[in-house]
Amino acid sequence: MKYIYILFITTLLISSCNVLDQGSPNDVAEDDVFTSEDGANSALIGLYNTLQARDYYGGYYPMMSDMHSDISTAGGFDNVSLQELSDLSVTSSNIFVEQTWIAIYNSINTANAIINNVDDINDAAFTEEERGHIKGQALAIRALAHFDLLRMFGEHWDQTSDFGIPVALTKQGANDVVSRSTVAETYDAILMDLDDAYSLIIADDRSQFFVNPIAVKAIEARVNLYKGDLAATNAAATEVIDDGTFQLLNETSFTEIYTAYPSSESLFELVFDVQNRSGYNSLTYSREDALRTEVLWIAEEGMNDFFASRAGDVRADLLDFTNNDASIEPDGRTQKYRGEENRNNPALIIRIAEVYLIRAEANGFTQAGVNDLNMVRTNRGLSAVDVADFASAEEFLDAVLDERKAELNFEGHRMFDLARTGKTNEVLDIDDYKSIFPIPFREITATNGVLEQNPGYDE
Amino acid sequence: MRKFYCSLLALIISLSAFAQTDKVTVNGKVTDEADGSALPGLSIIEKGTTNGASTDISGKYTLSVSPNAILVFSFIGYKTQEVEVGNRTTIDVSMGSDVVQLQDVVVVGYGTQQKKDINGAVGSVRNNEFKDQPTTNVAGNLQGKMAGVNITSASGTPGAGMLVSIRGASNPLYVVDGVPMLSESNSSLATSFDTEGNVVGSGQNVSSIADINPNDIESVDVMKDASATAIYGARAANGVVFITTKRGKSGKTKINFNYYTGMQKVARKIDFLNSQEFVALNEEARANDLALYNNDNTIFGPDFDPAVLTDPLNYGTDGTNTVWLDEVLQTAPIRNYELSASGGDKKTKFYVGGSYFDQEGIVINSGYKRLTVRTNLDHQATDKLSFGLSASVSHSNNRRSFNDNTYTGIITNAIGASPLMPVYDEFGNYSNYEDYQVNWLSDNPVLSANEIIAYTATSRLIGSLFAEYKFTPSLKFRTSWSTDYSYVSDDQFFSPNTADAEAVSGRAFKGNFEQLTWLNENILTFSKTFSEAHNVNVVAGFTMQESKSDYTSINGQGFPIGSGLQKISSAAVITNGANLETSYGLMSYLARVNYDYRSKYFLSATVRADGSSRFPKDKRYGVFPSFSAGWAISEEDFFGDGKTVNYLKLRGSYGITGDQEIGNFQNVSFYQPAKYNGQSGLKPRNIADPNLSWQSNEQLNVGIDWELFNGKVSGSVDYFKSNKKDLLNNSLIAGSTGFPTITRNAGEIQNSGWEFTVAATPVANEKFRWNTDFNISFIKNEIISWPSDGQLVSAYNDLSPTHVIKVGEAMGTFWAVKYLGVDPQTGDALFLDLQTLTSQTASSGLIDSDDALIAGKAIPDFFGGWNNTLNYKNFDALLAFQYSVGNDVYNLIRATYQNVGWSNEGGVDQVYANNWSGVKDRWQKPGDQTDIPRASFINQNYVENSTMFIEDGSFLRFRTLSLGYTIKPKSPTWFDNIRIYGQIQNLYTFTEYVGFDPEVSSTGGGNPQTAGIDYAAYPQPRTFTIGFNLGL
Repeated sequence: MKYIYILFITTLLISSCNVLDQGSPNDVAEDDVFTSEDGANSALIGLYNTLQARDYYGGYYPMMSDMHSDISTAGGFDNVSLQELSDLSVTSSNIFVEQTWIAIYNSINTANAIINNVDDINDAAFTEEERGHIKGQALAIRALAHFDLLRMFGEHWDQTSDFGIPVALTKQGANDVVSRSTVAETYDAILMDLDDAYSLIIADDRSQFFVNPIAVKAIEARVNLYKGDLAATNAAATEVIDDGTFQLLNETSFTEIYTAYPSSESLFELVFDVQNRSGYNSLTYSREDALRTEVLWIAEEGMNDFFASRAGDVRADLLDFTNNDASIEPDGRTQKYRGEENRNNPALIIRIAEVYLIRAEANGFTQAGVNDLNMVRTNRGLSAVDVADFASAEEFLDAVLDERKAELNFEGHRMFDLARTGKTNEVLDIDDYKSIFPIPFREITATNGVLEQNPGYDE
Repeated sequence: MRKFYCSLLALIISLSAFAQTDKVTVNGKVTDEADGSALPGLSIIEKGTTNGASTDISGKYTLSVSPNAILVFSFIGYKTQEVEVGNRTTIDVSMGSDVVQLQDVVVVGYGTQQKKDINGAVGSVRNNEFKDQPTTNVAGNLQGKMAGVNITSASGTPGAGMLVSIRGASNPLYVVDGVPMLSESNSSLATSFDTEGNVVGSGQNVSSIADINPNDIESVDVMKDASATAIYGARAANGVVFITTKRGKSGKTKINFNYYTGMQKVARKIDFLNSQEFVALNEEARANDLALYNNDNTIFGPDFDPAVLTDPLNYGTDGTNTVWLDEVLQTAPIRNYELSASGGDKKTKFYVGGSYFDQEGIVINSGYKRLTVRTNLDHQATDKLSFGLSASVSHSNNRRSFNDNTYTGIITNAIGASPLMPVYDEFGNYSNYEDYQVNWLSDNPVLSANEIIAYTATSRLIGSLFAEYKFTPSLKFRTSWSTDYSYVSDDQFFSPNTADAEAVSGRAFKGNFEQLTWLNENILTFSKTFSEAHNVNVVAGFTMQESKSDYTSINGQGFPIGSGLQKISSAAVITNGANLETSYGLMSYLARVNYDYRSKYFLSATVRADGSSRFPKDKRYGVFPSFSAGWAISEEDFFGDGKTVNYLKLRGSYGITGDQEIGNFQNVSFYQPAKYNGQSGLKPRNIADPNLSWQSNEQLNVGIDWELFNGKVSGSVDYFKSNKKDLLNNSLIAGSTGFPTITRNAGEIQNSGWEFTVAATPVANEKFRWNTDFNISFIKNEIISWPSDGQLVSAYNDLSPTHVIKVGEAMGTFWAVKYLGVDPQTGDALFLDLQTLTSQTASSGLIDSDDALIAGKAIPDFFGGWNNTLNYKNFDALLAFQYSVGNDVYNLIRATYQNVGWSNEGGVDQVYANNWSGVKDRWQKPGDQTDIPRASFINQNYVENSTMFIEDGSFLRFRTLSLGYTIKPKSPTWFDNIRIYGQIQNLYTFTEYVGFDPEVSSTGGGNPQTAGIDYAAYPQPRTFTIGFNLGL
């Protein structure tokens, strides 16, 4: 019988330990994050990380914009979704559209968690100013993210349109569904966040890898330009330029934009490193001998002709139309994102050259407008132009848009520029409804139709 | 009148004989009817009592019994015999072997049962039906053997995982000698990347079940319905496979040496165009387009440069004609050595064995080696106490092939490579693929095979210690302590001359995975016959299990060129380092009652309550009950003499089982580490459902077992319906949450169908014996509800949807644009435009993924097998067939090798990829009736995600043919027997399928939502082996 006692005793011993309570050593429960200043800082670092997602500023977001324009075309294997972007016929099941939507909301909700919680953290050492600095950055990023959604999925050029985007101002739970705001409501939410951000972020902060108050103003200028509020655009852009911290590089040094991480032109960029890589190099260059199949994001042949008509423009050198591999010709590759070894090319979110061009557009066909345009031209190897060189305001606008194309190609602006100026049909020869992408089919399915499809994409 | 005693029960009872008065002593010898050899360890009991004995090593027994007693002789594998003692004191018995399936003993979880006593649906395969087959994974030996069990080999990779689907539910629970485990791929080595170097798809799938040597396995019992599986409650929703390894029997020590060796060759090849045909196709493509252009010079757009249609490609003139598949495939050797010894006495029995298996892959530079050692011990310490051990240690080393489900694998590249490109240039270096005209390639395929060096080494220890104590002859307690320890080490090196790692001077990956699972089980069993009529068996138990895994990985790049160094410490830069730990626990209470009245009426009930750490505290426990009943009609008096129908049993069962197979820690919303600007922070990892709980599976089964002509023909028919409810699902949520899916209970899938099994012995005489069995299963899979009906899913993260999940359809339903055939006038491929309901060409701009519709399914209408064993004198033969009808395959990779001259983007002096020889039937002139469109250089004359590439994957496979000859010495000599045999595995497949093999699933088969995709999987080999078994 003694054996059986041993057996029973061991059984009893073992049943006293509870195997059902397991903890993960890799993660922190949500409730334990916002308990201290350190927790809030960690969440802020995490927020910047979400912007770096492959489907957002890790590479795909700017690629989608430029691919859906006259700047670039698709390489890669026969990837149907990529081809749709390049062919200007994006469907609602397009995988890029689907994933980018989610990636941007991931940043919005990560920001929401900070915005909703940071003021309630019970930590005496955590000052109002420090709280504000963190919250302000989160607000700015939320505004940027909502704006990036609006210009890709909403009728951002039309203040009266119902087709804005779902604006999420609290951290979303699993069953939460947000319906679309109007375009005007969306702009209001974005500008309100930017206002708050500007007042909360420490005023003399000028860090380029984190949102600083001047970058907030620059984004505000961009948003107001899209919105069509030229006075507000002008005011914000002027504040950025007058601050003086961020300076245009000249025709010989301008390539630092793409090699010095960060350059003096950069108001806000996302920094990557070899252990936290961006997609820009592998998307646009990959390696010296790369074939068309290895590079997804290729410069259109038309860009070669475009620069051919701009004698002296040093930015032409950034496009390589004589590739080692003939399969890419007659198209080309951008050289903005070299760095095959470490793949640490930054995501350039906003830089001073764009701010000058924003103000040029806001000033319109005036001497001030021409001056702003010349600021960029003369620093890029081109001669200054005169008011007299333009026959009309329309011609001046075209010149600004061309300048934007020359300056900002492969940085994700062209599709939006064409849409907001109503030139999609004229330049790309597609129906105007294709100025923006369809709402992803999966969203319509997942929300049981609460989200309405964009006009024209209805089946 | 036949009586059925659970032979195990009889054994137990016979061990606890105690003295009685007024007895006669009977002795005798028990021999095997077939060869007259002694049968040691056989049990004899006096009917109606617990009095018994067992035979000694020479088959002799002695037993004191009442004068008018009836002796019951029973032994596993033999027909039970009853003999009246009368006035005899010497009773010799010769036992006939038990060929009738229904008398088999089946492992049922926490016990065994005679198959006849089981009310549920069970399939069993014994060692003699699969021994010596050249497979690494026991699942491969079971293909076509059991009704309702559909086993697919997704890839021909040595050591590859198999997709095991039991009644439409994949990934069953394996229980190896009582230790539960899953077939998992614990290797983190990726064999599948996209063009940006990101891991896509699942790549190659290796299986942890391959750590068990199939030849150590005595039997495999598959539990298909709830009454059989519910005792494993929470993990039984997909069926349970019991694997029982060989154990010793008392008697003479038997030593066996087994050896085989052989060759493998690719079973089916795809035929490609040679250089001449390839050039002709491309020139025809240009000529076709030029003719169109001359007719209408706006056809390719205003910017089109017609020069590309008139300049010939730079084909080269050196007469190169490389057959790329031949360059990357080889005839590969396979061999296996095994030595085992088993035996013991009345108190101690043992089985020890070791094996070494060495298989080279049919793709160059791939292979699998495995060393296993097993020890199984049983010891009877006292009449009441026994204990034992089952332990196996294995080490395998898998030379991984850069293949399967990848854009850039060896086979994927070889399929598209130009025949004009040589393997090596004139200096003997790998020829530079960029210099040749195929832009499908991502590297020279032979270079990839040689210069991407990857190994997965696995060490595994599965051990179980158990002790059993018998309080009374009818009540016993068993406790067992088991561990399952595995250590997986991955090494991968991309040498600096691969295109993948050229820019970074080589890169390497090192991964370690360590997992320790422990399990404690405590089982009380009561078993007794009351009034000679009521047989009762009660099992009650308590079990606990915990599993911890630790995973480490490092990536590095920048290796000293030409040094040959490959280890991470030689890397210039560490690009990534990770270490994760995860764990789960299970705590369970279980009970089962089996009752039968004179083996005529059967009732059984089980219940298991499982608690899992994977669910929130208040949802942790799930209770899983089952009930079953059976009626052996043939045992009724009214049934008659039973001359024709020996046995007829009706049975039915109903029960609920569960599933907890989600990742660990899905029930909590977590923040995970995230880096920015050299700092580490936190970001949300997931969004959790606080109501997450068990998935349940309701199953109904009704069946008939029958036996005719003294067991010459037998079989069963089963109808089943199983509803998986509250599926643990990655269900869609609004993207505005920041996450695409949430793990929650949602949706319902129903599997229903019929299974038929017939086994017969058409000929059985002294010289010749033929056993045959046939099975066929009809399974209908239907989605009853789904949280986001109409959800589209893609087999690859970055491709357009390939599958749809729609209520009313089967899981694994394809989603594709409808191909309408070739326009006989123009030769263009026509597709259905859903917007206008007209037929349109691929280049019309009107055909896109919005035109996709339901287009076939991966699940077959019916499937099964036909197995034959023949014995003539000393010759034996095995012929096994397997078939599957009505399953479609989405042959996505054929879009690459049936591009009919497309140049990818047009206007470049490049062609896309080679074509298979089937394109010789292409449209060439108006009036041609064909399915292959005209060659075109500029326009892609096909749509990748279209029904053009969905094929009928039905097949009939002659799986195994083996022939053997056994030498049995007439008089004792140094050996007992020698069997020499030859075998062909995967002999021939009858199918219309174009790719390597219709039994394919490039996504590894693990995910039924995206089943049935062919994306250039590692091809299946045909294996020829010769070998011998030597018994000492």
